[in-house]
Amino acid sequence: MRKSRGGGEEEAPRQNGATGRRRGSQLQSDGVDGDSAIGPSDLQDDENDMGLRREIRSKYRDLISSVQQNREDMLSPSNNKLTDVLEHANRLFKDVRQTREAALDAQLLVVATDLGKEKASQLFAEGNAFDTATFAEHLLSFMGLNRLEDEEDEQQNERGADGYLPQDAWHRLARRTECCFRTAPTFHYMMGSFHAEPPPPKQRIERQRKVPSAEAKRIMPTQLKKMEESHQEATEKEVERILGYLKSYHQDDPTSPISYYEFVIDPNSFSRTVENIFHTSFLIRDGLARMYLDSDELPCIAPIEEEEEVAAAESSNRKQCIVSISPKTWKELIDVFEITDTMIQPATAEDE
Amino acid sequence: MTNRKRLSSTQTPSQSRDEDDDPTFTQPSTSQVQRGLERLSTAQVDQRAAEVVQYILMKDQKKVPVRRTDLVKHVVKDYRNIYPEIMKRAARSFDQVFGLKLVEIDTKNHMYILINKLEYTEAASSISSPTNPKRALLFVILSVVFMKGGVVRENLIWNTLKKLRVDPGEKHEEFGDVKKLVTDEFVRQRYLEYVRIPHTEPIEYEFHWGQRADAEVSRAKILQFMGQLHEQDPQSWTQQYREAHSSPSSAQPSTSSQR
Amino acid sequence: MTSVQLAVASGQSGQMSRQMGDNHRRFLQTMMSIGIVDDHGAKALYQHCCETHNVQCPPDRLDDFIETINSKLQPLFMQIRKGMSEDNGQEHYALVNMAQTDVTRMSSDYADNELELFKKTLELIVGSENGTVSSTDILNSTDSMTTKKLKKSETEHLLSRLVHDKWLNETKGEYTLSTRCIIEMEPYIRTMYQDQVSVCHICHTIVFQCQICENPICGIKIHNPCVARYFKGRAEPRCPACNDFWPHEIPEIRRPRSQSRR
Repeated sequence: MRKSRGGGEEEAPRQNGATGRRRGSQLQSDGVDGDSAIGPSDLQDDENDMGLRREIRSKYRDLISSVQQNREDMLSPSNNKLTDVLEHANRLFKDVRQTREAALDAQLLVVATDLGKEKASQLFAEGNAFDTATFAEHLLSFMGLNRLEDEEDEQQNERGADGYLPQDAWHRLARRTECCFRTAPTFHYMMGSFHAEPPPPKQRIERQRKVPSAEAKRIMPTQLKKMEESHQEATEKEVERILGYLKSYHQDDPTSPISYYEFVIDPNSFSRTVENIFHTSFLIRDGLARMYLDSDELPCIAPIEEEEEVAAAESSNRKQCIVSISPKTWKELIDVFEITDTMIQPATAEDE
Repeated sequence: MTNRKRLSSTQTPSQSRDEDDDPTFTQPSTSQVQRGLERLSTAQVDQRAAEVVQYILMKDQKKVPVRRTDLVKHVVKDYRNIYPEIMKRAARSFDQVFGLKLVEIDTKNHMYILINKLEYTEAASSISSPTNPKRALLFVILSVVFMKGGVVRENLIWNTLKKLRVDPGEKHEEFGDVKKLVTDEFVRQRYLEYVRIPHTEPIEYEFHWGQRADAEVSRAKILQFMGQLHEQDPQSWTQQYREAHSSPSSAQPSTSSQR
Repeated sequence: MTSVQLAVASGQSGQMSRQMGDNHRRFLQTMMSIGIVDDHGAKALYQHCCETHNVQCPPDRLDDFIETINSKLQPLFMQIRKGMSEDNGQEHYALVNMAQTDVTRMSSDYADNELELFKKTLELIVGSENGTVSSTDILNSTDSMTTKKLKKSETEHLLSRLVHDKWLNETKGEYTLSTRCIIEMEPYIRTMYQDQVSVCHICHTIVFQCQICENPICGIKIHNPCVARYFKGRAEPRCPACNDFWPHEIPEIRRPRSQSRR
């Protein structure tokens, strides 16, 4: 029995991939660094060497946190990591001179003793000990883990690990373990879960009597209009808000041109940038703002003053242009124009 | 997250404050109940008991235990003087109509849950009952805690889940926010207890079985499945086996009262 | 012509005093977790429950069996109710709630704004010609929400949940009320939308997906499966109310899937 369990544990670190192994090696390399660093500083024998003091403390802290974080691995009966840690601590202790370091050493000892206690209790537990790594292995098999790429490579184990389990893995386990639960079934309903308010009054009473298709046709357009209206209202509001921004920037400094891209681009949100472009186009269309190219042939935007407005609106000499933007060009524009802030603050709150 | 946790754990003392319309609910004495019943018709009492059944079923949709305070506030109301009688009848309905048992899992804070009295069977072949993958996750945690002797540090749970490709720090497609599911939802449902270990720096938590798990989950059945998984006799886990078979209430379902 | 009744499975006769056994309780528990079952499923479940508890189950006694459960369930504002699928005409049994109180409104399966959108969807379906509403129309209706407005993605997620929970059906972006929803909500819909809701001329239950008589002074509605059954084998289909020519394509009677198995 012991033998079979041992086998499972040896396999475990290989299977469970990145985390366990990475931590393990980190711990080891810490040890190596520690040795080489202590050697030369030992010779200096300088109690006031702040660098060394700091180094020792930081190594102690690393050691403590590595014990805390790798608790389970350390507890595993299949290795001697706890002993390694204690030996490492002994080496560090040679250089301990000050109370703060001694306190750290004591703290490490507390943590290690606690671990040792637990490890010991494992040994003396009656019957079989329970190893979670082995348990996890068995569960993975039960859930249908695809082990094809078993020992192949590390990188694959890194992130894409979930890919190995089939879609229904957890359902499969849920079905098997249902018998362990004596859960009451739950009752769900729709009727009675909301307030019964009479429908809005717009409904037609005589509907059934009339030719249904003609009636339906009459209802439909009005409903559509209503929805369009509310959309339109929102758009109008937003266009006005943006005009407000444009005017205030212009007033702040009427002589310097406002770069179109700097105005519409929101460096934090591509979608808001698109919205800004969309809404700004209304300003142009309605003759409330105009676009022109500056001396560098870059597009600029400016509000149209009240008195100009009428003339502009009436002028039949309209030009059209199409502004296209993709996430890629958006990023490039942010870089080129060095845009760090949005000039049009997003509409507040409401939709979070 | 931690805030939420803290809130839910401090809920108990604050409860007494929100019982404004029920400042001191004291269990009425038998004679008080007797007197109360004399003034009411059977139909009136039954009707109120039926509303209690309805309320508990509604609350059970999310598997959160029902508090007596809420029961009194929302349903029992002016019949609080015959509260024991109402609960008796509600429990009878659950038993006789639904095959469910109304259990008071927390006699101090007066919380109730429903558990199933019927033995689990495979569903009829043509009926496909939905399976809940969260159940499987809960099973894994409960098993580890049970097999490890009843208490387990949270890190062991997180590491075990990571081995099963469930990272508590990431959104899981089946479980969403795993950490929240485990330390909040399962805790509020009382499947798990998530308790701070004193004197740990940094702060550490450990898991225990919650009161609902004690009433609802069969340790014997878990051990049986463990045996199957490990290809081992369940009895080889001596301690666990003894524990699983020492509390008959949680291991063996009692049969529903027949006519 | 058999009329299909969307009512309690008949009679309060003599069964009232009969006690429930574990077989009834298991049936009820399964109904709680699945919500709705077709008649073949119900028969299989009935058999399964009786066999599990070693009780005899005469094959023709399903409705009696359910009536025994209902006699105990109705005082608790619940019921196992029978109804017909608008898609294939098959009989179904659904476990329904019958009460609308402050307590039932505390149900937390759906948030308030989600329920508002469900109600809007229901309104759109009831107000529609043939019992369907497009996902676009549902998405647009979020504009007029009075509770917290649902975003597009939230609405889509909600709709798929409603389908998953068997309250709505969906085919190619068109939503209809599910059989479970119609069975449970029929009394509600009849009261709330009495001016808009129509009743099938053949089976007299409420009707959403249907064919309509094109005679402008008639305009009766008939469920598709009822059309299939009513006009089956008739050379020239005529409206059962006004005797005008029935101009629609007559659907085939759809054999419920499991019939062949028996």
